Amino acid sequence: MSKPAMVERDLLVFSIWAVLGFGGLALLVEGFSRDSYVISLAATLTIILGFIAHIVVNAVFDCGFKPGETALGISAFGAVALAFIIGWAMGGLSAADYWSGLTLLAALGFGLPIYLSTRYGMRGAFSSFHVRHVDDGKPGA
Amino acid sequence: MTGMAYSVWLPLFALFYVAVMLYWVRVAASETGADDGFFSAGHALAPWITALVIGGASMSSWFVLGGSQQIVAQGFQMPALIVGGVLLALPGTLFFKRLWFVAERMRVSSQADIFRVYYGSPFLVTASVTVALLFAIGFCGLQIRAISDLTELMTGGAVSRFTASVVLGFVLFAGAGIGGMRAIGYFGVVQTVLAFAGIVALSGFALIWSGGFAALNAGLLQLSAIEGSAGLFTVNGVIHFTSGLGRGGELADANTALANLSFAFALMGFQASPLIIKLVLSTRSPNGIAAGQTWVTAGFFGAVIAFCIALTGAAGLVDRDLALDGLLSALQTGSPWFAAWIFIGIAAGVQLLAGLALFVAGEGLVRHIYRPYFNSRLSKHGAVTLTRIIIAVLAAVAMLMENLAPVALSALSALALPMAFQLWTPLLGVTWLSWITRPAAAAGVGFGLAGVLLTEPLGYQVLSFFGLELPWGRWPWTIHSALWGMAANVAAVLIISAITNRNALGTEAREIRRLFSGLLSTSGKAQKLRSTAWSVTLAWFFLAVGPGLIFGNSAFVATGESGPIWLLGMPSLWAWSLAAWVSGLGLIWFLSYKMEMASPLHVTIPPYEPPLRLKKDTSAEEQERLRVLILTGAVGFALAVLIAFSFGG
Repeated sequence: MSKPAMVERDLLVFSIWAVLGFGGLALLVEGFSRDSYVISLAATLTIILGFIAHIVVNAVFDCGFKPGETALGISAFGAVALAFIIGWAMGGLSAADYWSGLTLLAALGFGLPIYLSTRYGMRGAFSSFHVRHVDDGKPGA
Repeated sequence: MTGMAYSVWLPLFALFYVAVMLYWVRVAASETGADDGFFSAGHALAPWITALVIGGASMSSWFVLGGSQQIVAQGFQMPALIVGGVLLALPGTLFFKRLWFVAERMRVSSQADIFRVYYGSPFLVTASVTVALLFAIGFCGLQIRAISDLTELMTGGAVSRFTASVVLGFVLFAGAGIGGMRAIGYFGVVQTVLAFAGIVALSGFALIWSGGFAALNAGLLQLSAIEGSAGLFTVNGVIHFTSGLGRGGELADANTALANLSFAFALMGFQASPLIIKLVLSTRSPNGIAAGQTWVTAGFFGAVIAFCIALTGAAGLVDRDLALDGLLSALQTGSPWFAAWIFIGIAAGVQLLAGLALFVAGEGLVRHIYRPYFNSRLSKHGAVTLTRIIIAVLAAVAMLMENLAPVALSALSALALPMAFQLWTPLLGVTWLSWITRPAAAAGVGFGLAGVLLTEPLGYQVLSFFGLELPWGRWPWTIHSALWGMAANVAAVLIISAITNRNALGTEAREIRRLFSGLLSTSGKAQKLRSTAWSVTLAWFFLAVGPGLIFGNSAFVATGESGPIWLLGMPSLWAWSLAAWVSGLGLIWFLSYKMEMASPLHVTIPPYEPPLRLKKDTSAEEQERLRVLILTGAVGFALAVLIAFSFGG
């Protein structure tokens, strides 16, 4: 990809997350603070919409997630999961909070294999994790 | 949640915003190698970036800060505001395409450059730079003051207005001064979407807290039944022959149809300003202009104005606690994460415009005034460094005025839009009306600027200081200074063009005319539609922002047994304006595509090769010019002091 195209793609990604990412975050915190599952669900949908928009941009520019984006996404997922587990372990979660967190984690958790299978196909998605050394023409270890 | 947890959101979002800005400044700076592209982004901004940033700069935060507040204070008396998206898009539809081709052919990158090349007039160059300065110091300074006030409000006084304005000044310099035009374009995209999201979210909260659309309009209907408030929902006649504010006349913003029309003209000054033209000329292709003007500015952002900003204002009109500052205060108390997000959005919109204005003003002072007239040996690197210094100085001046001289700042701010509108005549001369001669364009702008000054507070206060009391105040006859200026401007242009030689064009001007009559000539199909275009445009102006607004007062109102009934469940003028916005969008589409004023054109324009001229050493001439300037300044100052002591109060 040429440098100007890369810049334009990055601009779009920044714009998407500036609106849908921060909007989703604000909705999520609002949902937790009001103990409202509906608002939290709206937050989850907003964040999923952000991912879909990001994937559409990637498709338009014929590229995938950058390593930095992947790292950031996995870190954010880990942080949310950790916060949820700590909250659950300490018993500070209401029923709405519990279901809100579970919905978000489930959506993000199921989203990853769905994304991989749409991008690489079922077999390709599996292969991107499972590296078979015998395929490179050398004898396997 | 603890108080600490509540107060952490604004600084957190602000830090993130600054980090993202610095990232894009870094990207821009790394692309701007060896000072190339600092001033015009290497003419490489993508058309969609320019379209979005123009839309964002044209309407984003100054409409939220000013527009919604105007509805809170004056109701729906100024429907021209609600069709702002169309009014803002119209000048761009008319000018951008042709100006881009002129710039491409002549290899120039700003409005002042185009005036220099076409008219060869130092006065027009100076006028263009002056307008940019007014935007940088006055127009944007006032908005930064408003944002600083909101910061103080939202932090409960923990961050004072002064501190906020200093921080914003630094952020502005970092954005515009370091990264140049590329950073403004790149980060402008993020700022625009943030501003748009903030405005939509804010209006969403206003709607929810008003109890929904029906409840909001029920409140408006109730308000209209209160004695003395009915006027908030009507345009009061075509014209009032008053002397204007400060001279025993009505309020300056009296709600007549002509006040609306003249205010519409002021709005139309924005896209004729050097700021927006700078963005257009930094773009790599003109093929996004039609889509940008039609669908982004008039369509999308026009809808945001007609619905979201009008709605936020209407909520504040019914309940003053839901005016902008009340809304943000309530949000800060209940949902500080949303308050922070919305506030950063509004601040981003202000920063976008302020950064662009500071940059264009700085560039104008260095590249269009200082280098050509006083130091032609200044290198490219020197020009970039000096521009950065000037941007820092202008940001500091604006910051000082925001805190020390808010009245003067407000007076300067009021001049920006109407003065920019005076640049219509020279722009028309370059793009469409070849019969406008150089002396006519220069004199027209001169008279226009004088007309604006004499009908705005700054002009009559300065004259009063020298002992001359004008018999009128601000906006006499309820006509905005933009129209007073344009009346003088057009009169001068017509008279002087009639008596001066229309064929006395420079070589470059002839080349531009050849370009328009050749590659850019209008097709026969579009020419046949010319009379239709004129009729539709005039009819739209008459009905949407002109005397036809009187019909809008009662178009959607019926008389019931218990009082008036709003047929569409909303104030008649609001509904009228929504219809005007939809039809205005059609007008912009028609002019852009069918009349080919902004339509895509896939041709390659080779650069103009100027005839070879001997380069002479002008340093002695420049030094003499500087000496004359200093002397004239000193004599002028002495005269001013003398007159003030002799006649002034």
